Amino acid sequence: MTPIVEARSISRVFPMPAGPVTALRDVSLSIAAGDYLGVVGPSGCGKSTLLHVLGCVDVPTSGTLLFHDRDVGSLADTERSRLRLREIGFVFQRFFLLPMLTAAENVELPQAEAGAPRAERRRRTMALLEYVGLAARADHRPSELSGGEMQRVAIARALANRPRLLLADEPTGELDQGTGEQIATLLDRLHADGTAVVVVTHDPAIAGRARRLLRMRDGRIVDEAPR
Amino acid sequence: MVFQPTMTAAFLISVALLTQASPTAVEPAGILITRQLAESRGLTVGSVVKLATDPAGAHARLFRVDGIYEPTPDPMHFAQPQLDARMHLPDLLALEAGMPDERDRRGVTSINVALSDRDAERFALDVAARVPGLVARATSAPDDRTNTFIVVERFHLAIAIVTVVGSAVFLLALMVMLVDERRSTVGILRLIGFTRRRILLQVFIEGAVIALAGAAAGILFALASQRLFNGFFQWRYDTTLVFLRITPSVVWRSLAMAVPFGIAASLVASWTFLRQQLLALIRR
Repeated sequence: MTPIVEARSISRVFPMPAGPVTALRDVSLSIAAGDYLGVVGPSGCGKSTLLHVLGCVDVPTSGTLLFHDRDVGSLADTERSRLRLREIGFVFQRFFLLPMLTAAENVELPQAEAGAPRAERRRRTMALLEYVGLAARADHRPSELSGGEMQRVAIARALANRPRLLLADEPTGELDQGTGEQIATLLDRLHADGTAVVVVTHDPAIAGRARRLLRMRDGRIVDEAPR
Repeated sequence: MVFQPTMTAAFLISVALLTQASPTAVEPAGILITRQLAESRGLTVGSVVKLATDPAGAHARLFRVDGIYEPTPDPMHFAQPQLDARMHLPDLLALEAGMPDERDRRGVTSINVALSDRDAERFALDVAARVPGLVARATSAPDDRTNTFIVVERFHLAIAIVTVVGSAVFLLALMVMLVDERRSTVGILRLIGFTRRRILLQVFIEGAVIALAGAAAGILFALASQRLFNGFFQWRYDTTLVFLRITPSVVWRSLAMAVPFGIAASLVASWTFLRQQLLALIRR
């Protein structure tokens, strides 16, 4: 199957005043449609950096990252922005919702930027909020939602432009166990509905749901196990 | 070209002595007096008064008040009450004729001449050529007596420039703080796929709207202040002099400075964040 994203010997080095820090070392990885990948490892092992590079938020210092066979390193910032807008969905531990917008407006925003007609994006927004079980809270602002609800809105927003790849960085990190379970179940549903999912997590319960599990240490993939 | 000083010229004299007099058999000459003078002495049209150039009242002559006028405000003397009377040149000469000492006579410093053919420049040149030492100029020509106000205007312009530059620096600092508060918003927008150009465009529109709204508020405030200031000082000095005037030129100049400054401040402040890596914005 043609991979959505493929990393070939990528490294990421951050220049720091005290000296360069290597967050990723020679990582190779391929993610295809329908994959459900869990990434685990100790803090500082490079999990989030890998997710950022895969999501075109950051670029590798060396190696090649291909997104649908296009070399991301050669893309301009504007083109990487377009990739993030149309092909990739992000879910972060801290939700990153815009506080001045309602849940529905947060979900509608990426669609508007992608040029979706108003009627269509309103319909899809309500469908997505239904999907995550928050249709009744569409007009609520993030400050009026619980942590679990905010994360579900973030997931709905991540799915707004029908991305092929969903990247989740510690999506249950700020949630209690029960709410975390709800989010994990929602990610399972996304995967079952055909979206490729990559989850970076410390939570064994979340990692245990993934079909492939990557273990990282010191910026390297030390183990990859299908499940 | 017609030169008719006795018919067209009006002269101002300071009133040395002014009293209401009983009507006499001799028809007194007509004069015009300022509103301030009429109010201060309780005079009306038709009142007959005695005028003299001598402070003691010697050689006084009778005049009849033919009209009361609102004097043209003089910025050089706005703090002094305008107690003036206007009369025809022969009456002035007759009034001064009785003065024993030639040196005590008040001089005529200027005469306004109405021209039938309106070629004031040519007339002025002609007069200057015929009467050396006499200054003749068109009323539309720059008046040397306003040099003081030109200096004051330049001083005000300098103050305005300093104020605008200071305000621009303040505005820039304010916008930097405002944008700093929106750092995470910019990060989220970049994360979900907004391009830098798109965000800058948004900032540009916001900056323009804020700058226009700010300029409009400032202009409205200035217009309101104008009425307040003028009302107070006109009351205080009993004059119709306009102390503060917001002209269309002032409005356009304000807009021309405020809007570009506002937009530039927004863009400069935003660019400080947009030029950063996306990770730096969302990791804060």
